[in-house]
Amino acid sequence: MQPITISLNGREVSGKQGMTILELAREMGVDIPTLCDDPNLTPIGACRICLVENEQNGDLLASCVTPIETGMVISTQSERVIVHRKTIVKLMLASHPDSCLVCNKGNTCTLRRVATDVGVGMIEFERIADAVEIEQLNPFIERDLSKCVLCAKCIRADQELVVVGAIDYFNRGFDAKPATFGDVPLEQSECTFCGTCVAMCPTGAIMDRGRSYHGTASDEVETTCAYCGCGCSISLGLKGDRIIAITPSKKGGPNNGTLCVRGTCASDVIHSADRLTQPMLRQEEELAPASWLDAIEAAAEGFKRVKGLHGPEALAVISSSTCTNEENYLLQRFTRDVLGTNNIDSSARLHNAVNRAALASTIGIMGANSDLDGLEQSDVIIVVGADPDASAPIVSYAIKRAVKYCGAKLILIDPRETGLSTFADIHIRPDYGTDAALLGGMAKAIVDEGLLDEKTVVEKTNNYDGLKASLSKYTAGSAAIEAAHLYAKANSASIVWGTGLTQHAGGADSVRALINLAILTNQTSGLYALEKECNDRGAFTEPLQGFSALEMIEQIEKGAIKSMLIVGENPILAFPDSGRVEKALSLLECLVVSDMFLTETALIADVVLSSSSFAEKEGTYTNFEGRVGKLNTAIDPIAGSLPDWNIILKLAEAMGSPMPFDDINQVSDEITALVGNESKSGPASFAPVDYVAPSDDTNKEYPFKLLTVSDLYSLGSGTSISHSYRLNKYTSEVYVEIAEEDASKLDIKDGDQVKIATPVGELTAIAKVSDSIPTGTIAIPQTLPTGSANVLFDITLDNETKTSLAKTCNVSLEKVVSNG
Amino acid sequence: MVNAPPVDINQIKKIINDYKDSQWPVMPMVEHIQDEIGYIPPQTIPMIAKAVGLFPSQVQSIVTFHDQLYTEPRGKNVVRVCRGTACHVRGGKAILKSIKGRLGLEDGQTSEDFEYTLETVSCMGMCAVAPNMTVGKNIYGNMNLSKVDKVFKKSEG
Ligand code: SF4
Ligand code: SF4
Ligand code: SF4
Ligand code: FES
Ligand code: FES
Repeated sequence: MQPITISLNGREVSGKQGMTILELAREMGVDIPTLCDDPNLTPIGACRICLVENEQNGDLLASCVTPIETGMVISTQSERVIVHRKTIVKLMLASHPDSCLVCNKGNTCTLRRVATDVGVGMIEFERIADAVEIEQLNPFIERDLSKCVLCAKCIRADQELVVVGAIDYFNRGFDAKPATFGDVPLEQSECTFCGTCVAMCPTGAIMDRGRSYHGTASDEVETTCAYCGCGCSISLGLKGDRIIAITPSKKGGPNNGTLCVRGTCASDVIHSADRLTQPMLRQEEELAPASWLDAIEAAAEGFKRVKGLHGPEALAVISSSTCTNEENYLLQRFTRDVLGTNNIDSSARLHNAVNRAALASTIGIMGANSDLDGLEQSDVIIVVGADPDASAPIVSYAIKRAVKYCGAKLILIDPRETGLSTFADIHIRPDYGTDAALLGGMAKAIVDEGLLDEKTVVEKTNNYDGLKASLSKYTAGSAAIEAAHLYAKANSASIVWGTGLTQHAGGADSVRALINLAILTNQTSGLYALEKECNDRGAFTEPLQGFSALEMIEQIEKGAIKSMLIVGENPILAFPDSGRVEKALSLLECLVVSDMFLTETALIADVVLSSSSFAEKEGTYTNFEGRVGKLNTAIDPIAGSLPDWNIILKLAEAMGSPMPFDDINQVSDEITALVGNESKSGPASFAPVDYVAPSDDTNKEYPFKLLTVSDLYSLGSGTSISHSYRLNKYTSEVYVEIAEEDASKLDIKDGDQVKIATPVGELTAIAKVSDSIPTGTIAIPQTLPTGSANVLFDITLDNETKTSLAKTCNVSLEKVVSNG
Repeated sequence: MVNAPPVDINQIKKIINDYKDSQWPVMPMVEHIQDEIGYIPPQTIPMIAKAVGLFPSQVQSIVTFHDQLYTEPRGKNVVRVCRGTACHVRGGKAILKSIKGRLGLEDGQTSEDFEYTLETVSCMGMCAVAPNMTVGKNIYGNMNLSKVDKVFKKSEG
C-alpha cells in the first residue's frame, strides 16, 4: 500500500493508510493534547481537545478519529486551534469542582495538565454546580463523578478491555454520568475492582482508595505482579520509600493495560504492618528477635549438626513458586553443593507437575508454548476445569474479548456455572473427574467422523494407531459431538485448562486426553495451562532423585529427614492435611523458614529469616505463557529484611562453602548459559489414556463431594495476599456454596453457619445457597481468608506425578447456627 | 406511593422474542415494551440485555439516553399540558393549575392508582388553537376551564 504524505506543521511527513492524524503526529514526535484517547481503546472523538486544523479548507478535525489523507495541510497549533482548545477546556473546568489543590490525582491529572498546557487562565464561564455523591463503601475504588469530564474511557476500559460491563452512560446531556446498572454503588454491581478504569481516568473522578492519604506518586518503577501465574507487567508508583499506586504498565506485557484487584492491592502486602522486620531465633521455647549474624549462624550450625549426626540425606529443602527463577536456581545449587543432598522440591510441583508430565510425554515441551494474543485470535476456545475469572483474570479478559468482539465460539467444560457461562456457546457439565472420558469422546468423534487430515496425522505423528485403539471405549453425547465439530473445523483453536483438570486423580491423563485432541487437529500451538502462583512454571524442576515435597513429610514422620530449610512457602496452609503437616514439621531437629510474615510454619521454626517482597528485589518470574517477566527493585528492602537470594548466599557462606555470586545478575547469566532455549524435540506423540471412571465413594457419614475452587480475592497459598487489608476487609468470611436441593433438605438458608468435616479436619463457613453447582456437591475456595481448605484433605498422592489431589473429597455438612 | 401494577413478564418475554433476531433489535424492542406496559420496567433490562448480547448497563444507557423512554411506571393516561408562550398567554397557566388541583399531581408525577401522569411540554406546534393539552393520543385545542371538566369526565366515565 502507498504511504500517504501530508504536511504537518509545515513539515512533509508520511504514514500508513488508515492511520489517524494523532497517531502520525505522535510517531513524528509532535505533541497533541488528548483526554479521551488511549491506544488500547476504540477512539470515539468525545472530548475534542485533540483538535487540529486542516489549513487547506479551514476544517477543525478531532485528530484522534480522523485518518490521514493525501494532501492534508495540518496545523496542530494554529490560532484557531488554540482558541477552540481553550474554550473546550474552560467549559470543562466550568463544571469541575474547585478541588484541584486537595485532589489526590494531583500531578497525574490529565485535565489539569492540559489546562496548564493550553494556558487557560481565567475560566470566564459561569460555574455550574454539580454535586454528586461520593461513593465510599468498598475498600478498593472511590468515585467522585463531579470530577468526570465524560470521556468514556472508564466505560470503554470496562466493556472493551475487561469485558465486565459494570458501567455505561446513564442519562444524557448535563445529567450524563458513567453508572452501574440501576445506578447502584460499584460493590453492588458486576464490578471486579480490577482497577483498569482507575488507571485510565484522566481526572480524579475514579480513584483507588488505598492511597488516599499519601498524595501522588513522584516516581514509577516497572516490574512484574506476583499474585498469580499471569505475570502482569505493572508499574509501581512511588512516593519516597512507599509504593502508593499500582497501575498497568504502559509498555504492554501480557495484560496490555489491564489489571486485577489482587495486583492493585500488592502495596498493602508490601507495606503491611505484619511484615517481619528482623530474623528470629527460638530460645527456651519462645521465638525471640535476633541479629542477622546470629540467625544465619544458628541456621548453618543446625544444618551442620544434623548433617554430621545423620548424614546429608537427613537434610531437605522446600522452595516456593513465589521465589524467582534465580532464587530457585540458587536453592538447587545450595542443596546439592552446600548441603550435599538431592532432597529439594518446590511447591510448584503441587500446581504444575501434572502439566509437565503430560506435555513431556506428548509434544515434548516443558510447558505450554502459546501466548495470550494467540488465544485472543482463536476462533474456537475450549475452557476445561478452569475458572479464569478468579484464577487468571487477564486470561478471562482475553477469552471474553475473543467471544464478544471477534466472534470466537466458546466451549465451556465445567460442572459449575462460572463467569464464562454466559459467554459460552456450548456448556458441557460433566461429573467430577470424568473429563478424560469426555475429551476421549470428542477425539473419537473427530476420528469417526473424519474431521481430521488422517494422512498428515499418520505421517507427522507417533502412535496414531495406539490412540485410535484406545478410543473405542468412549462415547460422545450430542453436545460433545457438536463441540468436536467446532473444534476440529476451527482455523485456530485453543484449549485453556486449570486445576479443575489437574488436581483430580489421574490429572495427567486428562491433560493428555486434551493434548491428543490438539495433535489430531494440528492445533498444538493453542494449549494454555493456567498456573496458580506467579512462578509455578519457572520454579518447577524435574526431581533430582530426591523426595518430592509431600514425600518429605512422610520421611520426616519416619525419622529419615531431620532438618529442613523452607523458603517462601507455608506448607501448613499450602499442603493438604494441615494438622499432619504441622505435626511432622514440629518433629524436626532444626527447621529454618524464610518468609515475609510469621506464618503458621514460621511459628514452629527454630530459625526465622525475614525476607523481602517482590518489589524489593531483582530477578525473573516465568508466567503461564512461558514469558519471562522481570522484577525491578522499586524500594529498598523493608527494614530488617533481605531478599531470599541474598539469604541463600549468606547461608552458603556460613556453611563454609560460599557460592560464586555477588549479585543476582550473575545468577541470571549462569542460568541463561545453562538452559538456552526450551526447544521442541521430534514429532508429537499421541498418549492413549487408560481412563478409569471415578467411583462414587461418598458414604453415609460423608455424603457430600467438596470441591475447592479459585477465588478472585484470595488466591494462591494465601500466605502473602492475605495480608492485604483491603482484600481482607472485602472478604473476611468463608463462604460455602450449597446446591438449592441439598440446602432445602438440610434446612439450610443463605447466611446460616455450617460445619464441614472430613476424617482429618473440619471448618465452619457461611452458607451461600446457589443454583450454579450440581446437587450433592458443595464448593469452597481453596484459599480462605482465615486459612485454607487444605485442613480437610489428607495427603493423597497422584501415583504418577506425586502431586496432591486437593480438588475434591467427601465431607459431611451440618447447620450450626441459623442466620436469624 | 403504592406499588406499581405487577408486570406481566411473559408478555415482555414474548416481545423480546419477537425482536431479538432482527438486526438492530434494541430500540424497536424497548419501544414496543413501553407501548404495551407504559414504561420499561428496570427488572426486565437484564432479560433484554441477555437476548441482544449486551450488558445490562449498556441497555440502561440506551434507555436513559432517550427522553421518550421511561423506566418508572406511568399512569394509564398521560396528560400533557402546553406551557409554550402562545398557550401560556391565552390561559394555559390557569388550565395547568386546575388540572394539578383536580389530579393532585405536580409536573412529572404519577397518581397512586397509576391512572394519570401529568407532564408539561414547551410547545405542541398548534399555537393557532392555543391553549392546548393532550390526554394519551387525544388532542384538545382551544381549551378553557369548563372544557377541562368535560375532558376529565369523559376519560373517567
Ligand atoms: S469517570 Fe473518568 S474515565 Fe470515566 S468518563 Fe468520567 S472522566 Fe472519563
Ligand atoms: S474496576 Fe474494572 S470491573 Fe470495575 S468498573 Fe472499572 S473496569 Fe469495570
Ligand atoms: S491477573 Fe495475576 S498477575 Fe495480573 S494483576 Fe492480577 S494477580 Fe497480578
Ligand atoms: S482525544 Fe480526540 S476527541 Fe478526545
Ligand atoms: S405554545 Fe402551546 S402549542 Fe405552541
